[in-house]
Amino acid sequence: MADFLSAYSIQRWLESCPQGYLVNTEYGHETGEEEPELLYSNEVIHEDAIRTTVQLVVGERCALAASSGLINAAPDEASKRFLATQTLDEARHVEVFTQRLYDLGVRKDELTDVINRYANPNLVKFAEILLEKVDKKDFIAGVVGQNIVLEGLAFSVFEMMHAMNADMNAKFAHTLSGTIADERRHVGFGENRIGSLIKTHPEKKSEVERMQKDMSYFMLATFADGFRNNETAAELDRIGEGRAHADFHGKDLGVMSPEEMEGLLADTVLKEFKVRLERVGIEYQTPSRP
Amino acid sequence: MPVRAPEPSSGDIHDLEPQQFLEEVHSFEFWFQAVEGYLSGLTWGHRPDTPDEPLVPADRERLISVLCNYCVGETAALEGSSGLIAIAPNRLSKIFLSTQVADEGRHLEVFVRRLRDLGVADPEAEIERRASRSLLLFKRRLLELVASKDWEAAIFAQNVILESLEFVVFTSHAEDADPVTAEVLKAVIKDERRHIGFGENELGRRLADSPHSRARIAQIRKELDHLVLDTLEETSGNIGLDRSEHDRLGRVYLESVERLGLLR
Repeated sequence: MADFLSAYSIQRWLESCPQGYLVNTEYGHETGEEEPELLYSNEVIHEDAIRTTVQLVVGERCALAASSGLINAAPDEASKRFLATQTLDEARHVEVFTQRLYDLGVRKDELTDVINRYANPNLVKFAEILLEKVDKKDFIAGVVGQNIVLEGLAFSVFEMMHAMNADMNAKFAHTLSGTIADERRHVGFGENRIGSLIKTHPEKKSEVERMQKDMSYFMLATFADGFRNNETAAELDRIGEGRAHADFHGKDLGVMSPEEMEGLLADTVLKEFKVRLERVGIEYQTPSRP
Repeated sequence: MPVRAPEPSSGDIHDLEPQQFLEEVHSFEFWFQAVEGYLSGLTWGHRPDTPDEPLVPADRERLISVLCNYCVGETAALEGSSGLIAIAPNRLSKIFLSTQVADEGRHLEVFVRRLRDLGVADPEAEIERRASRSLLLFKRRLLELVASKDWEAAIFAQNVILESLEFVVFTSHAEDADPVTAEVLKAVIKDERRHIGFGENELGRRLADSPHSRARIAQIRKELDHLVLDTLEETSGNIGLDRSEHDRLGRVYLESVERLGLLR
């Protein structure tokens, strides 16, 4: 265990993250980059950008609360130190996505109202299941919920959004690419650390599996709300703006309906969960579909 | 129609309005710029080519005891600051505290690394063996305050008392330490300065408006001062400070706490 944790030291994090892929960035993107004009000039697309960004802020706030809360529950010093870097990563994500809301024109004095108005209730329930485990200082369930389920979800969502924005919105794509690099590290820690703990605490498996099933249901419900009520694709068609022909797991996102995109994202995330959970000795539980 | 956000400000941050000043100094971006300046090129807290001079056995033993107790203090600070994120009253404080969590984790890591460099095979066991009783009591009390979700008392214990103690001890120790330990301490001190600033600012604004809070915090100070002064005495002995220097450190610590108007 000591050898694997040495790959997650703060020294390594400093070299790869602040002194690596974040060098010369400002709020996660290159200095001077701006959102495309269409996001400011079209009401439907502008509101959708704000709604989407609010979900990112809500998810990252949950991750910040969970990773900081898990430090005191961690059974060893090296895990505490890794979680210290994850805490700062998550706070950075909160900051860069909050800054995107400001860039989109949200005033500082209306931030709380905007977040309350657009936060998806199913995403809030997803977060509550995880934070309940963290509050109980349940390290195993907390790390599975945080570093495998939540981070696995974030990883795929960010990858899909990155694919959609790479050609259309370099500013947002750059912001996302830094967060994806962070999430990859967090998922790696979760898989490596939990495998050995599950072996020594097999009695935790059923509880953790139930948590994964519950969290997965609310994740799917969040996707359903997000895609089925999304008007951006129809609005782009209406105003004659083409969508980006971006590849995501072998499919062209530019020709898919929102419902097809929802199905693709859900299948991608659930498949990832299954692979990762099996790797650490936890049996994946299929959630019901909303 | 949507409007664009105003352009971010530039220039001296001290010219900013109070709220905007807090937005700047409590941000990840501010931390990022700050640590880039003084951590760049360091490995485990020091320049890789700094000569690691061999110590005579008695000095090495004393340094190991001192570093073990620094690790206890930094673990308290890591667990305290991470616990404080959950009860922080606003987003800016949460983000600042997350930068502090990473700082404290780094401090713990560089001190543990220094112990290994000095030949300590199992630093965790050595820390447990050499931990000062008064520092462990302080840590327990700090974590009780955090667990009770008492923001003012916990931020006082963590970012004023503990950070001030570390600041005065590390500053004094860095003056006479071996070159590697001195470099490690100097970078840590720069972080501590930021943490104390946050504590004084956050608490100062609250205490100015609330005589009740001031009396309550003064009571907590009374409870914690003797633990801090006991720790200071023990550590001063291990660092090899003479009596007058030890007394001076005690006064510096007391003055830094009294800056908040909390007289004994």
